Amino acid sequence: MTLLAIVRLTLRELASKATMYILAGISTVVLIGTAFAVSASQTDAGSLVTMFGQPLMEVPIPQDALVHFVRQMQAGLAGGLFTGIMLFGVFATAGIVPDMLERGTVDLYLSKPIARWELLLGKYLGGVAAIGVNILYFLVGAWLVFGMRTGVWDPTLMLTALIMIFMFGCLFGLVTFIGTWTRNTATTIVLTFLFLFIIEGPLLAHRESTLFRLSENTIYRTVIDGLFYLFPQISGMQAGAAAQLSGQTDIDWKPFLQAFLSGTAFFLGGAVLLKKRDF
Amino acid sequence: MHALECDHLSKTYTSGVRGRREIQALQDLTLTIGRGEIFSLLGPNGAGKTTCVKILLSLVHPTTGSASLLGLPVSNPHARRRIGYLPENHRFPGYLTGEQVLSSFGALTGVRGPELATRTTQLLGMVGMQDWRKVKVKRYSKGMMQRLGLAQALINDPEVLFLDEPTDGVDPVGRKEIRDVLRTLKAAGKTIFLNSHLLSEVELVSDRVAILDHGKLLKVGTVDELTTTDSSYHIGIEGTVPAAFVTEATARVLGVTAGADGLTARVADVPALNTVIDLLRAHGVSITSVQKQRNTLEESFIDLITREVQS
Repeated sequence: MTLLAIVRLTLRELASKATMYILAGISTVVLIGTAFAVSASQTDAGSLVTMFGQPLMEVPIPQDALVHFVRQMQAGLAGGLFTGIMLFGVFATAGIVPDMLERGTVDLYLSKPIARWELLLGKYLGGVAAIGVNILYFLVGAWLVFGMRTGVWDPTLMLTALIMIFMFGCLFGLVTFIGTWTRNTATTIVLTFLFLFIIEGPLLAHRESTLFRLSENTIYRTVIDGLFYLFPQISGMQAGAAAQLSGQTDIDWKPFLQAFLSGTAFFLGGAVLLKKRDF
Repeated sequence: MHALECDHLSKTYTSGVRGRREIQALQDLTLTIGRGEIFSLLGPNGAGKTTCVKILLSLVHPTTGSASLLGLPVSNPHARRRIGYLPENHRFPGYLTGEQVLSSFGALTGVRGPELATRTTQLLGMVGMQDWRKVKVKRYSKGMMQRLGLAQALINDPEVLFLDEPTDGVDPVGRKEIRDVLRTLKAAGKTIFLNSHLLSEVELVSDRVAILDHGKLLKVGTVDELTTTDSSYHIGIEGTVPAAFVTEATARVLGVTAGADGLTARVADVPALNTVIDLLRAHGVSITSVQKQRNTLEESFIDLITREVQS
Protein backbone atom coordinates (compact mmCIF):
# COMPACT_ATOMS: atom_id res chain seq x y z
CA MET A 1 0.00 0.00 0.00
CA THR A 2 2.92 2.32 0.74
CA LEU A 3 4.28 1.56 -2.71
CA LEU A 4 0.94 2.61 -4.16
CA ALA A 5 1.12 5.88 -2.20
CA ILE A 6 4.52 6.63 -3.79
CA VAL A 7 3.17 5.79 -7.26
CA ARG A 8 0.18 8.08 -6.67
CA LEU A 9 2.42 10.92 -5.50
CA THR A 10 4.64 10.45 -8.58
CA LEU A 11 1.61 10.56 -10.88
CA ARG A 12 0.52 13.78 -9.17
CA GLU A 13 4.01 15.20 -9.72
CA LEU A 14 3.92 14.33 -13.42
CA ALA A 15 0.36 15.62 -13.79
CA SER A 16 1.67 19.01 -12.66
CA LYS A 17 4.19 19.16 -15.52
CA ALA A 18 3.40 20.94 -18.77
CA THR A 19 5.43 18.39 -20.78
CA MET A 20 2.87 15.68 -20.10
CA TYR A 21 0.07 17.89 -21.41
CA ILE A 22 2.13 18.89 -24.45
CA LEU A 23 2.60 15.19 -25.23
CA ALA A 24 -1.12 14.53 -24.78
CA GLY A 25 -1.93 17.64 -26.82
CA ILE A 26 0.28 16.56 -29.72
CA SER A 27 -1.35 13.11 -29.61
CA THR A 28 -4.80 14.70 -29.74
CA VAL A 29 -3.89 16.92 -32.69
CA VAL A 30 -2.42 13.97 -34.61
CA LEU A 31 -5.49 11.81 -33.87
CA ILE A 32 -7.94 14.54 -34.94
CA GLY A 33 -5.84 15.23 -38.04
CA THR A 34 -5.81 11.53 -38.94
CA ALA A 35 -9.56 11.28 -38.37
CA PHE A 36 -10.15 14.14 -40.80
CA ALA A 37 -7.54 12.99 -43.32
CA VAL A 38 -8.18 9.27 -43.74
CA SER A 39 -11.35 7.49 -44.70
CA ALA A 40 -12.34 4.39 -46.60
CA SER A 41 -15.71 3.81 -48.18
CA GLN A 42 -16.97 0.39 -49.06
CA THR A 43 -18.05 -0.37 -52.62
CA ASP A 44 -19.03 -3.62 -54.28
CA ALA A 45 -15.58 -3.80 -55.84
CA GLY A 46 -13.74 -3.17 -52.59
CA SER A 47 -12.71 -0.18 -50.48
CA LEU A 48 -11.98 3.28 -51.79
CA VAL A 49 -9.39 5.02 -49.67
CA THR A 50 -9.31 8.80 -49.57
CA MET A 51 -6.80 11.21 -48.03
CA PHE A 52 -7.99 14.73 -47.33
CA GLY A 53 -11.05 14.00 -49.49
CA GLN A 54 -8.99 12.94 -52.52
CA PRO A 55 -9.00 9.29 -53.63
CA LEU A 56 -5.65 7.72 -52.88
CA MET A 57 -6.05 5.03 -55.52
CA GLU A 58 -8.04 5.25 -58.73
CA VAL A 59 -9.70 1.88 -58.20
CA PRO A 60 -11.15 0.30 -55.06
CA ILE A 61 -8.79 -2.08 -53.26
CA PRO A 62 -9.62 -5.48 -51.75
CA GLN A 63 -10.02 -5.93 -47.98
CA ASP A 64 -6.55 -7.48 -47.37
CA ALA A 65 -4.91 -4.56 -49.23
CA LEU A 66 -6.93 -2.13 -47.10
CA VAL A 67 -5.79 -3.91 -43.92
CA HIS A 68 -2.19 -3.72 -45.16
CA PHE A 69 -2.60 -0.03 -45.94
CA VAL A 70 -4.07 0.70 -42.48
CA ARG A 71 -1.25 -1.22 -40.81
CA GLN A 72 1.32 0.83 -42.71
CA MET A 73 -0.43 4.00 -41.56
CA GLN A 74 -0.54 2.75 -37.98
CA ALA A 75 3.13 1.79 -38.13
CA GLY A 76 3.97 5.30 -39.30
CA LEU A 77 1.98 6.87 -36.47
CA ALA A 78 3.42 4.48 -33.88
CA GLY A 79 6.93 5.33 -35.14
CA GLY A 80 6.15 9.01 -34.64
CA LEU A 81 4.75 8.26 -31.20
CA PHE A 82 7.89 6.32 -30.33
CA THR A 83 10.06 9.33 -31.18
CA GLY A 84 7.70 11.61 -29.25
CA ILE A 85 7.78 9.35 -26.23
CA MET A 86 11.56 9.16 -26.32
CA LEU A 87 11.83 12.96 -26.51
CA PHE A 88 8.96 14.18 -24.34
CA GLY A 89 8.64 11.10 -22.14
CA VAL A 90 12.27 11.17 -21.07
CA PHE A 91 12.11 14.94 -20.74
CA ALA A 92 9.04 14.76 -18.49
CA THR A 93 10.15 11.88 -16.30
CA ALA A 94 13.92 12.40 -16.03
CA GLY A 95 13.44 14.71 -13.04
CA ILE A 96 11.42 12.25 -10.94
CA VAL A 97 14.39 10.74 -9.11
CA PRO A 98 16.68 13.83 -8.94
CA ASP A 99 13.77 15.91 -7.58
CA MET A 100 13.11 13.30 -4.91
CA LEU A 101 16.78 13.33 -3.94
CA GLU A 102 16.97 17.10 -3.48
CA ARG A 103 18.00 18.35 -0.06
CA GLY A 104 14.92 19.05 2.01
CA THR A 105 12.77 16.65 0.00
CA VAL A 106 14.77 13.45 0.39
CA ASP A 107 14.70 13.89 4.19
CA LEU A 108 10.91 13.86 4.13
CA TYR A 109 10.78 10.67 2.07
CA LEU A 110 13.53 8.71 3.79
CA SER A 111 12.23 9.47 7.28
CA LYS A 112 9.10 7.49 6.43
CA PRO A 113 8.90 3.76 7.11
CA ILE A 114 9.86 2.84 3.57
CA ALA A 115 12.88 0.92 2.31
CA ARG A 116 14.96 2.94 -0.12
CA TRP A 117 14.54 0.40 -2.93
CA GLU A 118 10.78 0.58 -2.42
CA LEU A 119 10.87 4.34 -2.75
CA LEU A 120 12.83 4.05 -6.01
CA LEU A 121 10.48 1.34 -7.28
CA GLY A 122 7.46 3.55 -6.53
CA LYS A 123 9.03 6.43 -8.46
CA TYR A 124 9.93 4.07 -11.33
CA LEU A 125 6.43 2.61 -11.54
CA GLY A 126 4.88 6.07 -11.35
CA GLY A 127 7.01 7.27 -14.27
CA VAL A 128 6.23 4.23 -16.41
CA ALA A 129 2.52 4.43 -15.54
CA ALA A 130 2.31 8.11 -16.55
CA ILE A 131 3.97 7.46 -19.90
CA GLY A 132 1.93 4.28 -20.29
CA VAL A 133 -1.28 6.31 -20.01
CA ASN A 134 -0.03 8.62 -22.76
CA ILE A 135 0.88 5.67 -25.00
CA LEU A 136 -2.50 4.02 -24.40
CA TYR A 137 -4.31 7.29 -25.03
CA PHE A 138 -2.65 7.67 -28.42
CA LEU A 139 -2.77 4.07 -29.57
CA VAL A 140 -6.32 3.34 -28.37
CA GLY A 141 -7.28 6.63 -30.00
CA ALA A 142 -5.58 5.58 -33.24
CA TRP A 143 -7.30 2.20 -33.07
CA LEU A 144 -10.69 3.91 -32.73
CA VAL A 145 -9.94 6.46 -35.48
CA PHE A 146 -8.82 3.84 -37.98
CA GLY A 147 -11.64 1.50 -36.98
CA MET A 148 -14.32 4.13 -37.41
CA ARG A 149 -12.87 5.77 -40.55
CA THR A 150 -11.79 2.65 -42.46
CA GLY A 151 -13.69 -0.21 -40.84
CA VAL A 152 -10.40 -1.98 -40.04
CA TRP A 153 -10.30 -2.85 -36.32
CA ASP A 154 -6.75 -4.09 -36.02
CA PRO A 155 -5.99 -5.60 -32.57
CA THR A 156 -2.23 -5.57 -33.19
CA LEU A 157 -2.28 -1.90 -32.22
CA MET A 158 -3.19 -2.92 -28.65
CA LEU A 159 -0.20 -5.27 -28.52
CA THR A 160 1.94 -2.42 -29.87
CA ALA A 161 0.80 -0.29 -26.94
CA LEU A 162 1.99 -2.93 -24.47
CA ILE A 163 5.29 -3.33 -26.35
CA MET A 164 5.91 0.43 -26.30
CA ILE A 165 5.19 0.64 -22.57
CA PHE A 166 7.59 -2.26 -22.08
CA MET A 167 10.24 -0.47 -24.18
CA PHE A 168 9.87 2.71 -22.18
CA GLY A 169 10.04 0.67 -18.98
CA CYS A 170 13.39 -0.81 -20.05
CA LEU A 171 14.75 2.62 -20.96
CA PHE A 172 13.41 4.11 -17.73
CA GLY A 173 15.46 1.61 -15.73
CA LEU A 174 18.52 3.31 -17.22
CA VAL A 175 17.04 6.79 -16.63
CA THR A 176 16.39 5.87 -12.99
CA PHE A 177 19.99 4.75 -12.58
CA ILE A 178 21.40 7.92 -14.15
CA GLY A 179 19.04 10.07 -12.04
CA THR A 180 20.13 8.33 -8.83
CA TRP A 181 23.78 8.56 -9.79
CA THR A 182 23.90 12.19 -10.92
CA ARG A 183 21.00 13.62 -8.83
CA ASN A 184 20.58 16.19 -11.57
CA THR A 185 17.69 16.41 -14.03
CA ALA A 186 19.56 18.21 -16.83
CA THR A 187 22.46 15.74 -16.70
CA THR A 188 20.03 12.83 -16.68
CA ILE A 189 18.29 14.14 -19.79
CA VAL A 190 21.55 14.86 -21.62
CA LEU A 191 23.08 11.45 -20.80
CA THR A 192 19.88 9.61 -21.75
CA PHE A 193 19.61 11.45 -25.08
CA LEU A 194 23.30 10.86 -25.69
CA PHE A 195 22.69 7.17 -25.16
CA LEU A 196 19.51 7.06 -27.24
CA PHE A 197 20.45 9.16 -30.22
CA ILE A 198 24.22 8.68 -30.47
CA ILE A 199 25.55 5.73 -28.52
CA GLU A 200 22.83 3.08 -28.80
CA GLY A 201 21.24 3.66 -32.19
CA PRO A 202 23.95 4.91 -34.56
CA LEU A 203 26.99 3.42 -32.81
CA LEU A 204 26.31 0.24 -30.82
CA ALA A 205 23.36 -1.16 -32.83
CA HIS A 206 25.27 -0.58 -36.07
CA ARG A 207 28.70 -1.26 -34.64
CA GLU A 208 29.78 -3.39 -37.61
CA SER A 209 29.49 -0.41 -39.94
CA THR A 210 30.68 2.23 -37.47
CA LEU A 211 32.77 1.38 -34.39
CA PHE A 212 34.28 -1.85 -35.73
CA ARG A 213 35.75 0.09 -38.67
CA LEU A 214 37.98 1.97 -36.27
CA SER A 215 39.94 -1.09 -35.21
CA GLU A 216 40.12 -4.83 -35.71
CA ASN A 217 41.58 -5.32 -32.24
CA THR A 218 39.80 -8.21 -30.52
CA ILE A 219 39.80 -6.60 -27.08
CA TYR A 220 38.36 -3.37 -28.51
CA ARG A 221 35.62 -5.25 -30.34
CA THR A 222 34.84 -7.35 -27.27
CA VAL A 223 34.44 -4.17 -25.21
CA ILE A 224 32.13 -2.69 -27.86
CA ASP A 225 30.12 -5.93 -27.93
CA GLY A 226 29.99 -5.85 -24.14
CA LEU A 227 28.56 -2.33 -24.18
CA PHE A 228 26.01 -3.37 -26.79
CA TYR A 229 24.76 -6.13 -24.52
CA LEU A 230 25.04 -4.01 -21.37
CA PHE A 231 22.64 -1.24 -22.44
CA PRO A 232 18.97 -1.75 -23.38
CA GLN A 233 18.75 -2.51 -27.10
CA ILE A 234 16.19 0.13 -27.96
CA SER A 235 16.83 -0.01 -31.74
CA GLY A 236 16.37 -3.76 -31.79
CA MET A 237 13.08 -3.46 -29.93
CA GLN A 238 11.96 -0.63 -32.20
CA ALA A 239 12.56 -2.83 -35.26
CA GLY A 240 10.65 -5.67 -33.58
CA ALA A 241 7.71 -3.40 -32.74
CA ALA A 242 7.57 -2.10 -36.32
CA ALA A 243 7.67 -5.66 -37.67
CA GLN A 244 4.90 -6.73 -35.30
CA LEU A 245 2.73 -3.80 -36.31
CA SER A 246 3.28 -4.54 -40.01
CA GLY A 247 1.89 -8.00 -39.41
CA GLN A 248 5.18 -9.88 -39.72
CA THR A 249 5.41 -13.11 -37.76
CA ASP A 250 9.16 -13.72 -37.74
CA ILE A 251 9.94 -11.15 -35.04
CA ASP A 252 13.28 -11.27 -33.23
CA TRP A 253 12.35 -11.16 -29.53
CA LYS A 254 15.96 -11.36 -28.28
CA PRO A 255 16.37 -7.55 -27.98
CA PHE A 256 13.27 -7.48 -25.78
CA LEU A 257 14.72 -10.06 -23.37
CA GLN A 258 18.10 -8.32 -23.40
CA ALA A 259 16.51 -4.90 -22.76
CA PHE A 260 14.43 -6.33 -19.92
CA LEU A 261 17.53 -7.76 -18.24
CA SER A 262 19.54 -4.60 -18.89
CA GLY A 263 16.76 -2.28 -17.62
CA THR A 264 16.34 -4.44 -14.52
CA ALA A 265 20.10 -4.45 -13.89
CA PHE A 266 20.30 -0.67 -14.22
CA PHE A 267 17.33 -0.22 -11.89
CA LEU A 268 18.94 -2.51 -9.31
CA GLY A 269 22.20 -0.59 -9.73
CA GLY A 270 20.28 2.59 -8.92
CA ALA A 271 18.75 0.93 -5.86
CA VAL A 272 22.19 -0.11 -4.61
CA LEU A 273 23.53 3.43 -5.14
CA LEU A 274 20.58 4.86 -3.23
CA LYS A 275 20.98 2.38 -0.39
CA LYS A 276 24.64 3.26 0.11
CA ARG A 277 24.35 7.02 -0.15
CA ASP A 278 24.28 9.48 2.75
CA PHE A 279 21.83 12.38 2.57
CA MET B 1 13.08 0.29 26.57
CA HIS B 2 14.44 3.74 25.78
CA ALA B 3 13.01 5.90 23.04
CA LEU B 4 16.44 6.44 21.50
CA GLU B 5 19.85 4.93 22.02
CA CYS B 6 23.17 5.85 20.44
CA ASP B 7 26.02 3.50 21.16
CA HIS B 8 29.52 4.81 20.34
CA LEU B 9 28.30 6.47 17.15
CA SER B 10 30.93 7.96 14.89
CA LYS B 11 30.67 9.40 11.42
CA THR B 12 33.50 10.41 9.15
CA TYR B 13 32.71 12.07 5.84
CA THR B 14 35.27 11.66 3.12
CA SER B 15 35.76 13.84 0.09
CA GLY B 16 38.34 14.68 -2.52
CA VAL B 17 40.35 12.29 -4.67
CA ARG B 18 40.18 8.76 -3.24
CA GLY B 19 38.48 10.13 -0.13
CA ARG B 20 41.67 11.67 1.20
CA ARG B 21 39.93 14.57 2.95
CA GLU B 22 38.22 13.37 6.06
CA ILE B 23 35.80 15.29 8.25
CA GLN B 24 34.90 13.74 11.55
CA ALA B 25 31.32 14.85 12.05
CA LEU B 26 30.56 12.71 15.09
CA GLN B 27 32.94 11.08 17.55
CA ASP B 28 31.98 8.20 19.79
CA LEU B 29 28.58 9.53 20.80
CA THR B 30 26.80 7.50 23.43
CA LEU B 31 23.41 8.78 24.48
CA THR B 32 20.09 7.46 25.71
CA ILE B 33 16.81 9.33 25.69
CA GLY B 34 13.92 8.12 27.78
CA ARG B 35 10.30 8.00 26.74
CA GLY B 36 8.29 11.14 27.29
CA GLU B 37 11.34 13.41 27.42
CA ILE B 38 11.88 16.64 25.55
CA PHE B 39 15.54 16.38 24.69
CA SER B 40 17.48 19.11 22.94
CA LEU B 41 20.74 18.91 21.08
CA LEU B 42 22.79 22.08 21.04
CA GLY B 43 26.02 23.00 19.40
CA PRO B 44 27.63 25.54 17.11
CA ASN B 45 27.42 25.13 13.35
CA GLY B 46 29.23 21.98 12.26
CA ALA B 47 29.01 20.45 15.74
CA GLY B 48 27.42 17.26 14.39
CA LYS B 49 23.82 17.84 15.51
CA THR B 50 22.27 17.27 12.10
CA THR B 51 24.51 14.28 11.44
CA CYS B 52 23.30 12.78 14.71
CA VAL B 53 19.64 13.26 13.78
CA LYS B 54 20.25 11.98 10.27
CA ILE B 55 21.89 8.82 11.59
CA LEU B 56 18.92 8.24 13.89
CA LEU B 57 16.61 8.59 10.89
CA SER B 58 18.84 6.42 8.70
CA LEU B 59 19.48 9.26 6.26
CA VAL B 60 23.18 8.90 6.99
CA HIS B 61 25.00 5.64 7.69
CA PRO B 62 27.28 5.67 10.76
CA THR B 63 30.95 4.86 10.21
CA THR B 64 31.06 2.93 13.49
CA GLY B 65 28.66 2.32 16.35
CA SER B 66 24.96 1.66 16.33
CA ALA B 67 21.69 3.37 17.14
CA SER B 68 18.17 2.24 17.87
CA LEU B 69 14.73 3.81 17.81
CA LEU B 70 12.11 2.36 20.14
CA GLY B 71 14.16 -0.80 20.42
CA LEU B 72 14.65 -1.38 16.70
CA PRO B 73 17.89 -0.73 14.81
CA VAL B 74 17.62 2.54 12.89
CA SER B 75 18.39 0.74 9.62
CA ASN B 76 15.08 -1.13 9.92
CA PRO B 77 12.37 0.88 8.09
CA HIS B 78 9.80 -0.33 10.66
CA ALA B 79 11.68 1.68 13.28
CA ARG B 80 10.40 4.81 11.53
CA ARG B 81 6.76 3.74 11.63
CA ARG B 82 6.24 5.49 14.98
CA ILE B 83 8.38 8.56 14.45
CA GLY B 84 7.72 11.99 12.98
CA TYR B 85 10.32 14.30 11.50
CA LEU B 86 10.37 17.97 10.65
CA PRO B 87 13.61 18.60 8.74
CA GLU B 88 15.31 21.97 8.60
CA ASN B 89 14.64 23.75 5.28
CA HIS B 90 12.20 21.08 4.17
CA ARG B 91 10.70 21.33 0.71
CA PHE B 92 7.23 20.02 0.07
CA PRO B 93 6.28 19.55 -3.57
CA GLY B 94 4.93 22.93 -4.71
CA TYR B 95 2.16 21.36 -6.79
CA LEU B 96 0.42 19.95 -3.69
CA THR B 97 -1.99 21.84 -1.46
CA GLY B 98 -1.52 21.80 2.31
CA GLU B 99 -4.20 19.15 2.60
CA GLN B 100 -2.63 17.02 -0.13
CA VAL B 101 0.77 17.25 1.58
CA LEU B 102 -0.68 15.77 4.74
CA SER B 103 -2.68 13.08 2.93
CA SER B 104 0.25 12.14 0.64
CA PHE B 105 2.94 12.01 3.31
CA GLY B 106 0.48 10.48 5.78
CA ALA B 107 -0.15 7.65 3.32
CA LEU B 108 3.62 7.05 3.18
CA THR B 109 3.59 6.40 6.93
CA GLY B 110 0.81 3.85 6.59
CA VAL B 111 -2.12 5.99 7.80
CA ARG B 112 -5.15 5.53 5.55
CA GLY B 113 -8.79 6.22 4.85
CA PRO B 114 -11.03 7.98 7.37
CA GLU B 115 -8.26 8.09 10.00
CA LEU B 116 -6.01 10.01 7.58
CA ALA B 117 -8.82 12.44 6.69
CA THR B 118 -9.66 13.05 10.36
CA ARG B 119 -6.04 13.60 11.37
CA THR B 120 -5.46 15.92 8.40
CA THR B 121 -8.35 18.17 9.45
CA GLN B 122 -7.38 17.99 13.13
CA LEU B 123 -3.71 18.82 12.53
CA LEU B 124 -4.37 21.65 10.08
CA GLY B 125 -6.58 23.17 12.75
CA MET B 126 -3.97 22.62 15.44
CA VAL B 127 -1.24 24.46 13.51
CA GLY B 128 -3.63 27.20 12.41
CA MET B 129 -3.61 26.32 8.70
CA GLN B 130 -7.25 25.37 8.24
CA ASP B 131 -7.98 28.34 5.95
CA TRP B 132 -5.00 27.47 3.75
CA ARG B 133 -5.75 23.79 3.28
CA LYS B 134 -6.79 24.14 -0.38
CA VAL B 135 -3.94 26.49 -1.34
CA LYS B 136 -0.85 25.14 -3.11
CA VAL B 137 2.18 25.13 -0.84
CA LYS B 138 4.26 27.09 -3.36
CA ARG B 139 2.26 30.11 -2.15
CA TYR B 140 3.08 29.51 1.51
CA SER B 141 5.39 31.74 3.54
CA LYS B 142 8.31 30.27 5.48
CA GLY B 143 6.34 30.35 8.71
CA MET B 144 3.38 28.60 7.10
CA MET B 145 5.69 25.94 5.71
CA GLN B 146 7.00 25.35 9.23
CA ARG B 147 3.49 24.97 10.60
CA LEU B 148 2.58 22.56 7.82
CA GLY B 149 5.87 20.72 8.41
CA LEU B 150 4.97 20.24 12.05
CA ALA B 151 1.53 18.92 11.08
CA GLN B 152 3.20 16.56 8.60
CA ALA B 153 5.53 15.27 11.31
CA LEU B 154 2.52 14.51 13.51
CA ILE B 155 0.31 12.89 10.87
CA ASN B 156 1.01 9.31 12.04
CA ASP B 157 0.59 10.18 15.74
CA PRO B 158 4.28 9.40 16.37
CA GLU B 159 5.79 8.26 19.65
CA VAL B 160 9.06 10.03 18.92
CA LEU B 161 9.21 13.40 17.22
CA PHE B 162 12.36 14.89 15.68
CA LEU B 163 12.19 18.63 15.15
CA ASP B 164 15.01 20.46 13.41
CA GLU B 165 14.68 24.22 13.95
CA PRO B 166 10.88 24.03 14.31
CA THR B 167 10.42 27.75 14.99
CA ASP B 168 12.64 28.91 12.14
CA GLY B 169 10.82 31.72 10.31
CA VAL B 170 7.84 31.61 12.66
CA ASP B 171 6.64 34.84 14.30
CA PRO B 172 6.68 35.21 18.13
CA VAL B 173 3.01 34.28 18.47
CA GLY B 174 3.52 31.26 16.27
CA ARG B 175 6.61 30.29 18.31
CA LYS B 176 4.57 30.32 21.48
CA GLU B 177 1.90 28.22 19.78
CA ILE B 178 4.53 25.69 18.73
CA ARG B 179 5.92 25.60 22.28
CA ASP B 180 2.40 24.95 23.55
CA VAL B 181 2.00 22.13 21.04
CA LEU B 182 5.26 20.61 22.27
CA ARG B 183 4.08 20.78 25.88
CA THR B 184 0.78 19.15 24.92
CA LEU B 185 2.66 16.39 23.13
CA LYS B 186 4.91 15.87 26.13
CA ALA B 187 1.84 15.65 28.36
CA ALA B 188 0.56 12.97 25.99
CA GLY B 189 3.76 10.99 26.63
CA LYS B 190 5.56 11.73 23.35
CA THR B 191 9.32 11.88 23.18
CA ILE B 192 10.63 14.99 21.46
CA PHE B 193 14.11 15.40 20.07
CA LEU B 194 14.76 19.05 19.40
CA ASN B 195 17.49 20.71 17.38
CA SER B 196 17.42 24.47 17.69
CA HIS B 197 19.66 27.51 17.67
CA LEU B 198 17.16 29.46 19.76
CA LEU B 199 18.54 28.61 23.18
CA SER B 200 15.92 30.66 25.02
CA GLU B 201 13.27 28.48 23.40
CA VAL B 202 15.14 25.29 24.24
CA GLU B 203 15.45 26.41 27.85
CA LEU B 204 11.70 26.93 28.07
CA VAL B 205 10.65 23.47 26.90
CA SER B 206 13.49 20.98 27.37
CA ASP B 207 13.84 18.39 30.11
CA ARG B 208 17.41 17.51 29.18
CA VAL B 209 19.98 19.09 26.94
CA ALA B 210 23.13 17.78 25.30
CA ILE B 211 25.89 20.04 24.02
CA LEU B 212 27.97 18.89 21.08
CA ASP B 213 31.06 20.50 19.62
CA HIS B 214 33.25 19.19 16.80
CA GLY B 215 31.30 15.94 16.95
CA LYS B 216 32.04 15.35 20.64
CA LEU B 217 29.50 15.30 23.42
CA LEU B 218 30.65 17.96 25.88
CA LYS B 219 27.88 17.82 28.42
CA VAL B 220 24.46 16.33 28.95
CA GLY B 221 22.01 17.06 31.74
CA THR B 222 18.85 18.83 32.78
CA VAL B 223 18.52 22.53 32.08
CA ASP B 224 19.01 23.16 35.81
CA GLU B 225 22.20 21.12 35.88
CA LEU B 226 23.60 22.96 32.90
CA THR B 227 22.67 26.45 33.99
CA THR B 228 23.55 26.26 37.68
CA THR B 229 27.12 27.42 38.22
CA ASP B 230 29.34 25.66 40.74
CA SER B 231 31.24 28.75 41.79
CA SER B 232 28.97 31.80 41.72
CA TYR B 233 26.63 32.86 44.51
CA HIS B 234 24.34 35.82 44.82
CA ILE B 235 24.31 37.24 48.35
CA GLY B 236 21.41 39.53 49.18
CA ILE B 237 22.14 42.22 51.79
CA GLU B 238 20.49 45.19 53.45
CA GLY B 239 22.04 48.51 52.53
CA THR B 240 25.13 48.95 50.33
CA VAL B 241 28.31 46.94 50.03
CA PRO B 242 31.20 48.64 51.89
CA ALA B 243 34.13 49.45 49.58
CA ALA B 244 36.61 48.12 52.16
CA PHE B 245 34.85 44.75 52.07
CA VAL B 246 35.18 44.51 48.29
CA THR B 247 38.92 45.18 48.44
CA GLU B 248 39.45 42.67 51.23
CA ALA B 249 37.22 39.96 49.74
CA THR B 250 38.66 40.28 46.24
CA ALA B 251 42.06 39.36 47.64
CA ARG B 252 40.73 36.20 49.30
CA VAL B 253 38.26 34.70 46.73
CA LEU B 254 38.01 34.41 42.93
CA GLY B 255 35.97 37.58 42.54
CA VAL B 256 33.38 39.83 44.10
CA THR B 257 31.04 42.12 42.20
CA ALA B 258 28.79 44.56 43.99
CA GLY B 259 25.29 45.12 42.61
CA ALA B 260 22.20 47.12 43.53
CA ASP B 261 20.55 44.43 45.63
CA GLY B 262 23.64 42.65 46.91
CA LEU B 263 26.78 41.12 45.53
CA THR B 264 27.98 38.23 43.40
CA ALA B 265 30.83 36.17 44.76
CA ARG B 266 32.84 33.72 42.66
CA VAL B 267 34.41 31.23 45.02
CA ALA B 268 36.44 28.05 44.67
CA ASP B 269 34.46 26.08 47.28
CA VAL B 270 31.98 26.32 50.15
CA PRO B 271 34.60 27.31 52.82
CA ALA B 272 35.54 30.25 50.58
CA LEU B 273 31.85 31.23 50.45
CA ASN B 274 31.78 31.16 54.26
CA THR B 275 34.84 33.39 54.28
CA VAL B 276 32.90 35.97 52.24
CA ILE B 277 29.91 35.71 54.60
CA ASP B 278 32.20 36.09 57.66
CA LEU B 279 33.81 39.14 56.07
CA LEU B 280 30.41 40.72 55.38
CA ARG B 281 29.38 40.17 58.99
CA ALA B 282 32.70 41.57 60.19
CA HIS B 283 31.84 44.72 58.23
CA GLY B 284 28.44 44.82 59.97
CA VAL B 285 26.43 43.95 56.84
CA SER B 286 23.10 42.22 57.36
CA ILE B 287 22.65 39.21 54.98
CA THR B 288 19.14 38.51 53.65
CA SER B 289 19.77 35.60 51.24
CA VAL B 290 22.43 33.35 49.70
CA GLN B 291 21.65 31.70 46.37
CA LYS B 292 23.63 29.67 43.91
CA GLN B 293 23.67 31.74 40.76
CA ARG B 294 22.10 30.44 37.55
CA ASN B 295 23.20 31.35 34.08
CA THR B 296 20.88 31.40 31.16
CA LEU B 297 21.27 28.37 28.93
CA GLU B 298 22.87 30.63 26.37
CA GLU B 299 25.49 31.83 28.85
CA SER B 300 26.26 28.28 29.94
CA PHE B 301 26.46 27.17 26.34
CA ILE B 302 28.83 29.96 25.32
CA ASP B 303 30.91 29.39 28.45
CA LEU B 304 31.25 25.69 27.71
CA ILE B 305 32.09 26.17 24.05
CA THR B 306 34.62 28.92 24.88
CA ARG B 307 36.33 26.68 27.44
CA GLU B 308 36.42 23.86 24.89
CA VAL B 309 38.02 26.12 22.28
CA GLN B 310 40.58 27.36 24.81
CA SER B 311 41.47 23.86 25.91
